[in-house]
Amino acid sequence: MSVAVGDRIPEWVMDSVCPARMRTMAALLRDPNPLHWDRDAVAALPLGLGRRTINQGPLGLSYMINMLHAWAGPDCLRRINMRFPQVVLDGERVVARGEITALWDDNGETLAECSIWLQHEERGVLLEGTATVVLPKGGA
Amino acid sequence: MDKPIPAEADFTGLAGHRFPGGYYTVAHWENALLTECTGATLLPGGRVHPVALFHLPITGAGTTIAEMFALGQAESDLSIMIESYDWETFLPLREEIRYSVCGGIESAQRCTNPAGQFYDRIQFRFEVRTPEDALAARTTITWHYTRNTL
Repeated sequence: MSVAVGDRIPEWVMDSVCPARMRTMAALLRDPNPLHWDRDAVAALPLGLGRRTINQGPLGLSYMINMLHAWAGPDCLRRINMRFPQVVLDGERVVARGEITALWDDNGETLAECSIWLQHEERGVLLEGTATVVLPKGGA
Repeated sequence: MDKPIPAEADFTGLAGHRFPGGYYTVAHWENALLTECTGATLLPGGRVHPVALFHLPITGAGTTIAEMFALGQAESDLSIMIESYDWETFLPLREEIRYSVCGGIESAQRCTNPAGQFYDRIQFRFEVRTPEDALAARTTITWHYTRNTL
């Protein structure tokens, strides 16, 4: 893998955020928050989100991990730090994107610091953060 | 009717709180469901999708999301806002491995947002170790407990 600072990571697309997956996730996480499975609870909030459930934060974060795995392999993740400026809603098409901001060698491994974000075409950046990724041998 | 805001000293006194600690094993079926929820296919070699780094530490440490809400005296489940999740991985997680987990509250602060509204901020930190006591992951959850804004 030959990379340089400023390179973009191949994007990863979630074509439609699925409310059924949110319900499964709520059960697995034992997450009592109705925002993830009750459209009426979301509609009752003074946020103008309509009758759509809100994706769990870890699920939005997982789209970023899927992008990194597809790019650099299943053992690549060293650190991920995500902030959540906007919610992700059921039915939305979102795209995980990223860019290399630094590269360095450590104990024979090449590490990449990446700026990463989850984007919605109309609403802009929904999640944003950084990731540290170990690159496959032969990188940089 | 609005729920009373906890006294600042009571809230900040949560810093240092420790959960009981314990163990967590991700079964294959659980990894399969978690991974499907992310829209990915199962990772090779029994690797657990890192999305497990949210609930594995919480459950393994002997707490629950509901208890974490209650510790901060959340007004309701709807009043919690995520500031950030910070996940560090030192070893890939694997299915059917009994990880030990410890965790607690790193900090608890009263804050004011740009609109002048109070909110409380808790930072939880967890460590996940292999049966050989190697550090596999460290996670930090930072939540805002909004007060009287919904």
